[in-house]
Amino acid sequence: MAEAPVRVSAQPQDGDLVAIALRGNSDAFAILVERYDRAVYHLAYRTLHDVEEARDATQEAFFKAFRSLRTFKPGSKFSTWIFAIAYHACCDRLNRRKRFSGDELPDRADVSPGPEQQVIALDEATRLRAAIDALPEKYRTVVTLFHLQGRQYEEIATVLGLPMGTVKTHLFRAKEQLRRLLSGAEVTEL
Amino acid sequence: MTMDDRELERAILGLPLEEPPQGLRASILLATAYRPGPAFSVGELVALGSLGAVALWLGIMLVLGGGSLFVHTLQTIGSTLSRTLSNAGVLAWLAAGGATAIWLTLFSGWQPVAAVSHRSERSASR
Repeated sequence: MAEAPVRVSAQPQDGDLVAIALRGNSDAFAILVERYDRAVYHLAYRTLHDVEEARDATQEAFFKAFRSLRTFKPGSKFSTWIFAIAYHACCDRLNRRKRFSGDELPDRADVSPGPEQQVIALDEATRLRAAIDALPEKYRTVVTLFHLQGRQYEEIATVLGLPMGTVKTHLFRAKEQLRRLLSGAEVTEL
Repeated sequence: MTMDDRELERAILGLPLEEPPQGLRASILLATAYRPGPAFSVGELVALGSLGAVALWLGIMLVLGGGSLFVHTLQTIGSTLSRTLSNAGVLAWLAAGGATAIWLTLFSGWQPVAAVSHRSERSASR
């Protein structure tokens, strides 16, 4: 009887890559960048709604991660760590934006609904994205992280620095508002 | 469009990620993993600084004392060096120190030449 082939993991785990990078192998960190740059950019863009700022925040997040790689706790998730760094970089930028503009940040993103016919013509993904953009910031971020991390509420809570119960409540309310927005009903702040 | 909870979650999870701007990954890598090293290492800077200091010292001596002081100083340095290096005890200590350094290098697996050439190869390939 032929022996079952030994399965060797071709894809090194994130934690292993961090350990290898800490030993001075730059290629290991490059793999982590390749794995997460798009997701981090997505989080930054959905939070900041500005291509240039999202680009800078993404770069800043990876730069900070690279410089403080030694503080990464073995056994924790790299994705959660890098998302948390990126989220804080975005918050700093939002605060700066608020300071320089002198105005309160809008609680809602600019929806720019346009003519109704145009909205109807949008495909489902575009409509959903527009609905997410129309959510208040706290809900929008939770939905974006849910999109990136799935049902890992604890990871989302870690990134946002919120209790898990709050994350679940925000997500529940966000989904309610999304449903109303997608069905065209009037949405009131909860 | 009415969706139940499961459908809505599936739709959110199925959304495509934003397309990052071109060159983002390259700029991140250039700022982090593949950041070009400094033009001079610490050792090279120390060596260059020492050489500069010696040159300055010799220059000041030339200006202050003329050629004779300069020649005299060089003679003194030369004779001290030759006296030191012709001493069997000093040479034995130097040999012992060198041998220990080589042994420690083998023991720790540190290969400065290989490391430098690896870095240069990668810089060249980029």
